[in-house]
Amino acid sequence: MTLPLPAPIVRWLAAVGRVARITAEHAGELGLLSWRIMVAIAQLKVSRHDISTQLYIMGVQSLPIVFVTASLAGIVTSQQGGYQLISSSPQYILGTLVVQSVILELAPLLTAIVLVGRIGARITAELGTMVVSEQIDAFESLGRDPVAILAAPRLIAGVITMPLLVGFADVIGIVAGMIAANIDVGMGTETFIYGARLFWHSWDLVYGLSKSVVFGFAIPLIAVHMGLRTRGGAEGVGLTTTQAVMFMILTILILDAMFPPLLLQ
Amino acid sequence: MITYRDIHKSFDLPVLSGVDMMVETGEMFALFGPSGTGKSVLLKTTIGLMIPDRGDVEIDGLSVYEGGPSALLEVRRKVGYVFQHSALFDSLTVLDNVAMGLPEEVLQRLSTIEKVRRVWEALDIVNLEPKEVLAKIPSELSGGMKKRVGIARAIVGRPEILLWDEPTTGLDPVNTAAVERLIKRLSKELEVTSLLVTHDVEGGLDICDRVAMLDGGTLRFCGTPVEFRACPDPVVQAFVDRAAAEAALDMVTDTYV
Ligand SMILES: Nc1ncnc2c1ncn2[C@@H]1O[C@H](COP(=O)(O)OP(=O)(O)OP(=O)(O)O)[C@@H](O)[C@H]1O
Ligand SMILES: [Mg+2]
Repeated sequence: MTLPLPAPIVRWLAAVGRVARITAEHAGELGLLSWRIMVAIAQLKVSRHDISTQLYIMGVQSLPIVFVTASLAGIVTSQQGGYQLISSSPQYILGTLVVQSVILELAPLLTAIVLVGRIGARITAELGTMVVSEQIDAFESLGRDPVAILAAPRLIAGVITMPLLVGFADVIGIVAGMIAANIDVGMGTETFIYGARLFWHSWDLVYGLSKSVVFGFAIPLIAVHMGLRTRGGAEGVGLTTTQAVMFMILTILILDAMFPPLLLQ
Repeated sequence: MITYRDIHKSFDLPVLSGVDMMVETGEMFALFGPSGTGKSVLLKTTIGLMIPDRGDVEIDGLSVYEGGPSALLEVRRKVGYVFQHSALFDSLTVLDNVAMGLPEEVLQRLSTIEKVRRVWEALDIVNLEPKEVLAKIPSELSGGMKKRVGIARAIVGRPEILLWDEPTTGLDPVNTAAVERLIKRLSKELEVTSLLVTHDVEGGLDICDRVAMLDGGTLRFCGTPVEFRACPDPVVQAFVDRAAAEAALDMVTDTYV
């Protein structure tokens, strides 16, 4: 049977169909993986030792890079804010601007992006290598559940670590912004804090940290999922790792864009 | 006894298209076939590491694909799997790698001393010096040693069935002969059923009770080594001849080079 449609349209429809199929496939597999992780956790099959190892790798070892990122974010916001606001608004607004930008957006988003590179890529490459060297098969052949052994500790550690790192980034970013405001436009600490408190909502902090919990779930989940899908040798590991990084960054940005309409009304 | 019934598996192209095969209890069975014909895929379907598109595998009356998770777990307990590329866990020491071959609840029950004793025994069987290798991690071992640690991991849980995916490929002649002797000894001493995938046709014909050849997605031949050598099928003949030529060449190189 031939379709009475011109070739470009057929090709275009086929491409749409392919994208839809791949999206549905990933969504289904991610759902199944989350379910299997939850079951493993509920059955207490996750080793505490593995969780603490992952907490150390994801949390403690990320502190330096999160420190650098958050300070720079605070400093740049403060400098650019100072430049834009000068003479048009009262000076203390700079305090509001820095605190709100850091807590609502910069700390959660930048920390997540940093963790995609530091943790996400690492998990995908690690698990991908285990797939192509048949270590995942080996776990299964020995009656062990690779999801409980490998995926669950990483996901638990991600969900715990991320809000803590973002809290740390909040503090660092604000302090760095405050110092920069002092050096740059000569604003005193009291003025900065006055501005920060004037428009302070505790909800903002909850909002920023909720984001970080979601990111802390999404990054290891996607990383593990992509790692386990790896096929075909060292080249396959390289390929899935890059794909995983793109996938994680896009997901983070999309989730980030979904938060304001959902939680900031 | 392992029974494969009408196993079908395709990736982008069909790999297995209707494999029926039976391995008797206590038997040593070799599976030959050109590279890429799906020998590893067939072996993996035995314990659900790859799920066939159609067909079922039955092990001692347990259906791998229709028996549910508990049957699958029981099957995996019965079966030891020696992977083509060793597949050692590279973050664990040899001790922990081999100990992983014990069922989870057994491992939790064992004292450290008892655990070391069991691992020690398995390493002894594969002719590794336990004192030297126990604390090493896989990247500190040679290829041949890794293979033998992989075998130790597969046998430490005392399986009734052993699946060997090319245990001698990539080994030097001395180690090849050692591993072949080991396979034979294990089959006799531990009375396990062995299904051996190998490129070493001469070695396989020497040690096995029955052999089969996989080609083009189905079994091309299944019978005794004597029948295999005498088989009139030209594809089988070509395979036997090439294997013989390779074996002769190996001997020449061993002697003169
Ligand atoms: N996970 C997979 N995804 C896609 N294709 C696969 C996968 N595993 C195996 N194949 C394909 O199946 C075919 C058979 O592979 P298999 O590894 O079983 O061959 P083999 O007979 O064991 O070969 P060799 O003797 O080289 O080990 C190959 O063409 C391979 O590309
Ligand atoms: Mg193979």
